Amino acid sequence: MPTRILTICAWGGPATVVLALTGWLIAGVLPIPLGPDSTVDQVVGFYSQDTRVLAGLFLSTVAVCFVLPLIAVISVFMMRMEGRTPVLTFLQLVTGAATGVCLLLPLLLMTTIAFRPGRNPELTVTLNDIAWLLFITPVAPFMIQNVAIGVAILNDKRQTLPRWVAYVNFWVAFSFTPDVLAFFFHSGPFGWRGIFIFWLALTTYSVFLIVMSVTLLKAIRESAEPRAAEVAVAAA
Amino acid sequence: MSRPDARAREELPDFLWLDEEEGLRSAASLGRSNLTEPSQRHTPGEVGLWIFILGDMTLFGVIFLVFMWERRSDSGVFKASAQQLIQPIGAFNTLVLLLSSYLVVRALFAHRIGRVQAAGRLILGAIGCAGVFAALKVTEYFVEVSEGNTPSTGLFFTFYFVLAGLHLLHVLVGTGLLSAWAVALRKGKQWPSAQRLVEGVAVYWHMVDLLWIAIFTLVYLVCAE
Repeated sequence: MPTRILTICAWGGPATVVLALTGWLIAGVLPIPLGPDSTVDQVVGFYSQDTRVLAGLFLSTVAVCFVLPLIAVISVFMMRMEGRTPVLTFLQLVTGAATGVCLLLPLLLMTTIAFRPGRNPELTVTLNDIAWLLFITPVAPFMIQNVAIGVAILNDKRQTLPRWVAYVNFWVAFSFTPDVLAFFFHSGPFGWRGIFIFWLALTTYSVFLIVMSVTLLKAIRESAEPRAAEVAVAAA
Repeated sequence: MSRPDARAREELPDFLWLDEEEGLRSAASLGRSNLTEPSQRHTPGEVGLWIFILGDMTLFGVIFLVFMWERRSDSGVFKASAQQLIQPIGAFNTLVLLLSSYLVVRALFAHRIGRVQAAGRLILGAIGCAGVFAALKVTEYFVEVSEGNTPSTGLFFTFYFVLAGLHLLHVLVGTGLLSAWAVALRKGKQWPSAQRLVEGVAVYWHMVDLLWIAIFTLVYLVCAE
């Protein structure tokens, strides 16, 4: 039944998007998250809203881990593309694992901040800065993952996945480049809450997860069909 | 042309099958003869490439929009800041990139008719242009920073450094792609098999050129008016 397991794992992409966004809505990270220019009162106020923030953030920590099964399916199909020396597959696998940690750790940190909101406000602000900058700035693993997937698809003569998926990956990788600017700006469009940082990366990463899931699900169905045909022939 | 997939083909009667093969073959030879009469249906590079090209340009377009929006509320500061930029360097860099684009076009035509040596020289010229552009860009950055204009000086310089920086990143990636083309030429890769790579690189390079023209116009010229 590998097809069924592959299918379930491939649904990890949309599951991450839907559940993480739901968690953030519950916690109040969305629609408007805390920014680098939020006042001390706003930051402390955000984390001291009883169990709602804790519950929402906890849901999102679980949700982002659903990228891991998707990364496994991507690896299986990249292995088919690359054959005997699957170096890009391994690159995607290790960077994919790193992205899982990069997503999980800051959210755990935010949940931890909400655990004891009565502390010295300065500490809460510092912890909040650490959480957000850890969340936004480590883009290199994500970009390497995208480029590895893209190059593997373009080098694949059998077209296991459609070639446009490679170009979508390159575009997503490019869209992460402004994120490092979050270190340099305390407000405006290039601060961590800005349109070119949080909102752009959120949008394109969601596009990445959904495109990969949809195209992989199609590939899984297509690779299952010949086997079904063989079984029918054998039965006849 | 609608190509039936492999499954549908197997269900077709034999004689239709053959017709289909012939049709494909004649279409392929038609594609090869489009040196003289370019086919209307041919997409440069491949269709998927344009997802990246248009996505990339959309992203730059959004940055331009936000830039112009911010300028509305602070046009005096934007004007004063834009006048501190070194316009001659920007203008010269525009010409350098236009020249590189011309060299890329010439190289593509040369490669297509099999003049591999000439194409290789033209590509080296384009890579040289990219080097000149990058060197001047870095010089410009140094001059601005040493005059005290850093990305945190104000919103205008934030956008100047970010836009020029993102563009410079594109130039560096483009230089890598042009080098890949040069390597393919050195290996003697002939036209039909090299077409997708070469056209893709050329399209990407023209996009880099086009984006710089937009940046130069908006940041150096429009804001200084």
